[in-house]
Amino acid sequence: MAKKYLRMTLNERIQHLNLAINFTILVITGFALKYPEAFWASPITDVPLGMTFRGFLHRLSGVATITLGGYHLLYLAFTERGRRIVIDMIPMWKDAKDLWETLKNNLFINQPAKVIKMGRFNFREKLEYLGLIWGTIVMTVTGFILWFKEEWLLFFPMWTFDVSRAIHFYEAILATLTIIVWHLYSVVWNPDVYPMSWAWISGNLTEHEMALEHGLELERLREEEKRKLVNFDEGSTAGGGRVYHVHPRGGEKFSIKNFYGTVKSLNESIKDWKGR
Amino acid sequence: MLPLGILSLLFLYGMMGETARGDNSKCLSCHGNENLTKKDARGNKISLFVSEEGLKKSIHGENACTDCHTRIPDESHAKTGIKDADRKVDCGACHEESEKLFKTSVHSLKAEIACKECHGTHSIKPLSDPKSATFQTNLLQTCGECHSEESKQFAESVHGVGLTRGRPNHPTCTTCHGTHGIRPRSDPESAVHERKIAITTCPQCHAAERITREYRFTTKPVKSYYDSFHGLSYRGGDTFSANCASCHGVHDIRSSSDPKSMIHKDRLQKTCGVCHPKASVNFSKGKIHTLADIRGVDFGEKAVGWVRIVYIILIVAVIGGLSFFNFTDWLRKTIERRPKD
Repeated sequence: MAKKYLRMTLNERIQHLNLAINFTILVITGFALKYPEAFWASPITDVPLGMTFRGFLHRLSGVATITLGGYHLLYLAFTERGRRIVIDMIPMWKDAKDLWETLKNNLFINQPAKVIKMGRFNFREKLEYLGLIWGTIVMTVTGFILWFKEEWLLFFPMWTFDVSRAIHFYEAILATLTIIVWHLYSVVWNPDVYPMSWAWISGNLTEHEMALEHGLELERLREEEKRKLVNFDEGSTAGGGRVYHVHPRGGEKFSIKNFYGTVKSLNESIKDWKGR
Repeated sequence: MLPLGILSLLFLYGMMGETARGDNSKCLSCHGNENLTKKDARGNKISLFVSEEGLKKSIHGENACTDCHTRIPDESHAKTGIKDADRKVDCGACHEESEKLFKTSVHSLKAEIACKECHGTHSIKPLSDPKSATFQTNLLQTCGECHSEESKQFAESVHGVGLTRGRPNHPTCTTCHGTHGIRPRSDPESAVHERKIAITTCPQCHAAERITREYRFTTKPVKSYYDSFHGLSYRGGDTFSANCASCHGVHDIRSSSDPKSMIHKDRLQKTCGVCHPKASVNFSKGKIHTLADIRGVDFGEKAVGWVRIVYIILIVAVIGGLSFFNFTDWLRKTIERRPKD
């Protein structure tokens, strides 16, 4: 079995799933307002109070998305892994060069194609993540203006409301198309991962996938592993830190089978022990 | 062959005229007398006078009395003068379509109203005759006999003022409510049901190119409404969302320059406040029916127009760029995977 590398922790996968569900609800309930006669809007428009429920659901999902955004900020600020994500996510000059070289590879200008080694987050992911932040801010601000129009219009003229409406709509188109064109290509239609990258469910990338998309990160991880092996304090615990239960099923009566198992695992521990 | 056909048609037409043109002298010998009366069950005096001149000038002037009063022709009526349950004239015998529609109307189902209440009796005039009870300007009077409050409100409205000035095509009661098949507002098939107000009732004129050109107003309010939140949600079936009547009123629709108008700038805040209780003074400032247009009159129209242009350029550039990049990526990866022989 190929070696796997952790890409998304369980926490991050839940965040991603949360965002995916809320984003989909927002897209459907939002565009059902703009295109009420569209065939796909009929489950909303054909039922009594459908449009009222649509509005409620859209606001609910909006609040959920914003809450998720807030949680994500806390996650970034107060966890070791989160702070690492921020550092790795900063756009670098190398990302522009990677994009350029990838394009040259794709257009067969680089002959032979260059092997591009990218970091933990490649230019595709950085672009999308920053776009997501931008979109969330724009949609949050304009969305709240539309929601709390009475309060907003206490201080601002009517045209600002109309502008917010326009921005909210066009930004929604931009965001939806970006997800379909950019994100779904990366994780679905990309021939390297088709029919789907499983990272959002399993949390892992295979070594092959890592090499393709995150060559630099793979090298770094291997270095780290090697360093760990070198620093390994072999004398500390037999079996590399693993605890071997002498009585695997404690409390059970003595049996030949249990005894055999204990002896066997002891033997293995001794065999694996590298000695000082 | 052709002249023969025309001739035979003319002959037939002549025959029809001959049969329709009845001899009413027998009836009018009694009913032509202005003093002919009878007493009804309550003892009220009821005139039985039929003006020959009025009948002759009516659209039914060529008909015989017995064409409508079908139960009269037994000789006993003429001899004894005894009433013969002939008061209810069956108009539906000729006017089938109208009868059928009328049977479904609220006037027929909920009220004891017959054709004559609106159309009159012996002196029925065609719709186009200014003396007709159903002529467009006379409808205010005709309908107002029962619906006096609505009729009074309408007469003072922008629609009613234009109507009483005698402008053709100006809306009257029937323009919105329909004619024979008038239904209650709550009936989904009613012409003024809340789901139809902003789809057919008002837009039949306010989104009609010919009428808007003739009377020099624009279709902009309808178009912009359909694209506003109110209109979009309404189109999706939301009945809580404002329709035309929510802001403009019903029978008493007035021009925005009229201080009594619901949409006059001094009253707009109150009008919006019906649904938006916290509506501030900014609700009444600035235009409501705006369409995104960089050459627009209103600042908001211009601003939204520019936002639109900038965003369309942005969307085309970004999505176009991303699509192109991904297409090249897909192409290379697909070519690299081609089976090698």
